[in-house]
Amino acid sequence: MHEDAVSATNLPPAIDMRGVRRIYKAKPNPVTALAGIDLHVEPGESFGLLGPNGAGKTTLIKILTTLLLPSEGTARVFGYDVEHQTQNVRRIMNVVSGGETSGYGLLQVREQLWMFSQFYGLPARDGWRRVDELIEAVGLTEQQHQKVSSLSTGQRQKMNFARGLLNDPWIFFLDEPTLGLDVSAARSVRELVKQWKAAVPGRTVLLTSHYMAEVDELCERLAIVDRGRILAIGSPAELKHRVQAESIFRLELDRLEGGPRALAGLPGVVSAVTPTDDAGAAADRQTVRVNLTLADDSALGSVVIALGALGSHIVALQKSEPSLEDVFVELVGRGFDAEEAAAHATGLPPQPSVPPPPAEDREPAEVA
Amino acid sequence: MAPAPDSVPGTTPVPATAPARAPSAAHSAFVYRPTADPMTAATWTQRRVLVTNLRALYGRAYPRLIGLRREPSWLFFEVLLPFLTTSAFVFVYRALQAPPEYIGFVVLGGAMTAFWLNVMWMMAAQLYWEKDQGNLDLYFTTPISLMSVLFGMAVGGLLSSCLRASIVLVVGSALYGVSFAIQDWFLLLAVFFLTLTALYGLGMVLASLFLLFGREAWHLSQAMQEPVYFVSGLNFPVGQLGMLGALAISLIPLAVGLDAMRQLAFSGSDAHTGTPSPGVEALMLVAMTVVFIGFARFMLKRLERMAREQGKLSVRGG
Amino acid sequence: MAALLHLDGSAARPSRSRVESVRDARRSFSTAVRLGWATEANWADPVLFVIYQVAKPIASVLMLVVMLEIVTQGAGDAAYRAFVVTGSALWALVMGGMSGLAWSVLDDRERYRMLKYLTISPDPLVLLLLGRGAARMGTAAAGALVTLAFGVLLLGVDFDLFAIDWPLLIPSMLLGLVAIIALGVILAGTVMMTRQDAWSYPEAVAGALFLVCGAVFPIAVLPMAVQAASLVLPLTWWLEGVRRGLFPDSVSSIGGEGSIWMSLTRTSVPDRTTLLVLLFLSTAVVTVISIAVYRWSEHRARERGLLDQTTGS
Repeated sequence: MHEDAVSATNLPPAIDMRGVRRIYKAKPNPVTALAGIDLHVEPGESFGLLGPNGAGKTTLIKILTTLLLPSEGTARVFGYDVEHQTQNVRRIMNVVSGGETSGYGLLQVREQLWMFSQFYGLPARDGWRRVDELIEAVGLTEQQHQKVSSLSTGQRQKMNFARGLLNDPWIFFLDEPTLGLDVSAARSVRELVKQWKAAVPGRTVLLTSHYMAEVDELCERLAIVDRGRILAIGSPAELKHRVQAESIFRLELDRLEGGPRALAGLPGVVSAVTPTDDAGAAADRQTVRVNLTLADDSALGSVVIALGALGSHIVALQKSEPSLEDVFVELVGRGFDAEEAAAHATGLPPQPSVPPPPAEDREPAEVA
Repeated sequence: MAPAPDSVPGTTPVPATAPARAPSAAHSAFVYRPTADPMTAATWTQRRVLVTNLRALYGRAYPRLIGLRREPSWLFFEVLLPFLTTSAFVFVYRALQAPPEYIGFVVLGGAMTAFWLNVMWMMAAQLYWEKDQGNLDLYFTTPISLMSVLFGMAVGGLLSSCLRASIVLVVGSALYGVSFAIQDWFLLLAVFFLTLTALYGLGMVLASLFLLFGREAWHLSQAMQEPVYFVSGLNFPVGQLGMLGALAISLIPLAVGLDAMRQLAFSGSDAHTGTPSPGVEALMLVAMTVVFIGFARFMLKRLERMAREQGKLSVRGG
Repeated sequence: MAALLHLDGSAARPSRSRVESVRDARRSFSTAVRLGWATEANWADPVLFVIYQVAKPIASVLMLVVMLEIVTQGAGDAAYRAFVVTGSALWALVMGGMSGLAWSVLDDRERYRMLKYLTISPDPLVLLLLGRGAARMGTAAAGALVTLAFGVLLLGVDFDLFAIDWPLLIPSMLLGLVAIIALGVILAGTVMMTRQDAWSYPEAVAGALFLVCGAVFPIAVLPMAVQAASLVLPLTWWLEGVRRGLFPDSVSSIGGEGSIWMSLTRTSVPDRTTLLVLLFLSTAVVTVISIAVYRWSEHRARERGLLDQTTGS
């Protein structure tokens, strides 16, 4: 039986990369896809790699999944060197990529998955049983006898996901797993990742994506990658904290005796102001809006108490959080879209020229 | 089979064919033979490695076998029509009023063509197509040897090849009045099997080369058909080619195997000149098998490493 | 309806005139030819490409010539050698024509995943396939010429440029090309409905036709019933016409002792007019059949959703 409490201290790091560089020989000039990566992921983590297209995320995953050799440096997966202990690595990992169209069109879903089960050495009957379980788990029961070539994109990706779980890997590499999927299918895939990881403690996930919300949702820690370098590593909250140390709330009250100034002096309150875009509408509205900047979330309690004492009722409360794109822009000086548009136009990496937007112009995010 | 968790004494038990589901079927799907740590999962015995590779061999043959069943047009295009092609060369000899054993040479050559084509198309050029379809990088992420995959491809195509060879041999012999004079059945069968092993060894060597050459693979396979037929003496004793024939016998399993089989199947014919005896040729096939398979193993490892260094394993870029 | 622009900036209307349709079709065809050439020729350096184009047909002809020399012990009949060399060289053209279209379908469906886009483009798919296949036919024709030259220069085939029967050669060649293309269209339609391993089908079909068309031996050697089937095929008449056009004293592939032609007509060989008429008629029949088969195949492929599927195994 599996020991539920896997101690992370007993295990080597799930991923340990030191000074990894990868240079492709291309014409007219060599392309440096990874420019010196140091990455350490503990067992049991859900780790994300966030960055625009061409940042080096897929190259990094290919190195870890033994498809590519680093030009310099070392990379280990649970202590096994990806270059010299390839088979060991392959026995404990699996990889699913977005937009994957592998497989044999003539085979049915069930047959395709069983074929792959044989590549991991599952006994024949075990393979069929496992395939049936996974098909049910990913929600492909109705399509199990359909030919692979007739699957929709979302169904195919679910099948790919089932393939990735056949050997019950210790580390699961997901390279843009929801690429090209609609909202519902993408959500299904994310739920599957969460369920799989929760089933056994100690399982590790490395996810690459350029969908910030996906990384935010799935990853405990992430690295922001651009042009082959890691710009920052941390939890989503830590990274956002770099951009915006304070907590910003937008309050809507039925009334506020004394206006925002009444809140400005409370402990933990950095500032309390009327929103600049609210001036014109205030006369028509029955409520009062206040943008509240606090030193941290804990100060909110005292504000609520004070509002109660002033006889105000809270109609709406929203927390304004920077997004991971804000973090990226802060670090790099340009957004993902500008990055990709420039790359498309010139074929060369664009130079940073656009300063990050001021904090007060950022869209507030819904409080979770 | 354990009883259902909610079964009540005195009620009808759940039949064995309808196994009870654990409370969380999804949980069961997400857990399979867990190990205490990844190091235990990563360390396999030699026996497990061998068994996995054998299972992978069958796994890779599986889609081919399914394809044969689902798309039966191959019976017409890959068996019947090639028989007609062989028949064309039979009639060339008839038009030339050749001695009767030459008809037998053509029939035997036509039968062995099936295996050469299996090697070229089902093995040698296949890895490039696998790369094209996005399957190659998935193979390289699995803990199996590429040789298992290649063997599986060949085995999967072997059914159609054997059927084609049998039809050409049996029907051709009956229809065109071929008389065999076999004195050593054991050696003949041994030579046949050794020819196949050497051919498949060569196929693996070519597969490793094609892996790096990319899209030339298909054209190289095409280009190697008629020239190989010619130098292998597909329709005539290869000894008639003199030095060229000698060179072919030393390099191409098809040439040496076919020559040996002809000498054994039509013993007493004076058409064979200047080639080694079947016994010697059988030993040559053994040597070819060992050399080709050994070389293929070396080449596949080397070329996998080169492909990983150059990033040529997958189509999707990084 | 909104005006649509061609890539060259000219406006095209969905309800275009017949002249404009022909112009558009010609442009699409020429684009497809250029594309076919680019995909056909750019896989290797020029030297390797040339070797590839000549290796196959020369190896084929050498195989047949060696067979001839072995049996005759070096005293091979020069006329029969010319027969074999010509037939083998021309057969390269048959292979190129038949495989050109079929492999274009397979290439575009399985490898480049472009078939669906070609299908939804305004011009008929078959036109684009013909363009793609034209490059392969062109290179096959070059290979055929090289093989003929090889035969003349190195294999002792007697050839007199001034003895060519042009009134027979030119129409035979043109009608034969139409027949080859028609057969290619039939195959292209067939592979639209089959799986990826259909790469071998053009060769298999060409190989079967090799038996009955008098490519490398006179059909008089075949049983009477098979000879009757041979005479229905345009390729049989084409080979005879081109062979006699190039080598007026050539051995006939259709007539001669023991042939069904002789037993039916009491003449040794068909005369020029009869040959051309029968070539024309058989080509016309095959062309009509090819149009029908292709239309049905494309319709069926659309019905079954096969145009954008990959079917590897």
